[in-house]
Amino acid sequence: MEHDEIYTMMMDALDGELSATDHGELESHLRACLFCAREWQALLAIDALFRQTPALSPAVDFAQRTLARLPNRRYRLWIISAVYILLLLSGALPLLLVAWAVSRFGPIMSEPAAVPDLLASIERTLQVTGTVMRALLSAIGEFLIQQPAVPGWLLVMAGIVFLWSGIYQQLVSQPRQVQ
Amino acid sequence: MNEEQVWLEQARQGDKAAFGKIIEAYQTPVYNLAYRMLNNAGEAEEAAQEAFIRAYTRLDSYDPAHKFSTWLLSITSNYCIDQIRKRRALLLSIDEPLAPHPALMSDRSKGPEAQLMMNQQQELVQSLLAELAPDYRQAVVLRYWHEMSYEEIAEVMDTSVSAIKSRLFRARRQLAEVGVAMDLSPALEEAVV
Repeated sequence: MEHDEIYTMMMDALDGELSATDHGELESHLRACLFCAREWQALLAIDALFRQTPALSPAVDFAQRTLARLPNRRYRLWIISAVYILLLLSGALPLLLVAWAVSRFGPIMSEPAAVPDLLASIERTLQVTGTVMRALLSAIGEFLIQQPAVPGWLLVMAGIVFLWSGIYQQLVSQPRQVQ
Repeated sequence: MNEEQVWLEQARQGDKAAFGKIIEAYQTPVYNLAYRMLNNAGEAEEAAQEAFIRAYTRLDSYDPAHKFSTWLLSITSNYCIDQIRKRRALLLSIDEPLAPHPALMSDRSKGPEAQLMMNQQQELVQSLLAELAPDYRQAVVLRYWHEMSYEEIAEVMDTSVSAIKSRLFRARRQLAEVGVAMDLSPALEEAVV
């Protein structure tokens, strides 16, 4: 008989699930095989040791100390509920805004002259924005022509800052090489 | 609805005192599992506390169709396995000599000889368990100290019954080899098949 088969019988015997026939076979094998008999003795010893060794209990004040560490579940539940309500509101808010806008501007938009007037006002807004931007750019260009040293100094300052930050990073982050 | 279910329902509503009853009822199995897995009293207490805190915060995910003890021990064993993995990352070994369990040292009710015997027995148990891989150790502890069936162990360890049978088979075989090397043998009356 294979040792693996004997081992399976040993495990079944430990669990009290070995049939009477197999029980006899195991006994006769153990009488004949010294190797299996020694392992069976060791298994029985360990099985008995584990079964007889009592469970360990924690210190007497364990429950109190654990209780003190428990988070406040009611507060947590309240926070979770508040977050859910906020999420629900954040989902409903855009819908409410759209409904309000439709009710407020719907009648105006249905007027025949409303769309051309709206387009004209958008066009005028864009024209004003373009004029302001052009004025700003031309002012910056005029300043650079009159004061060419200012952008030059700014570039030099930026270069110095960039250089020093690079040196600082090299000093701080590079590991020292051990000779 | 039994007493335990009442406590759980009250704890779910945020009643800490009700959960305190749960802690008192399960502190020994939870702590024992953590100690057998981690082999260190301080770490075992920390693991047991963490298991209760996790159970409390996740009470909503507990399915009353299953046994609460199975769910709680599952949380405990998962936490212990994580701790063992972290230890490995720190290159610490479970085989290192660790302080004996304080409850054993402080128990004055037993005589010094009985105390010494008990300490030796516990140390032998821990040294044998330390020979096993964490998942084998987990299966052995649940089988012997928590008297769980293969089905219950499979539920705790989130695996199949056949996988548990295989783990216990290999674990016992490994223990037998260690036992032979240590020349362990039972009393004659226990050796009868």
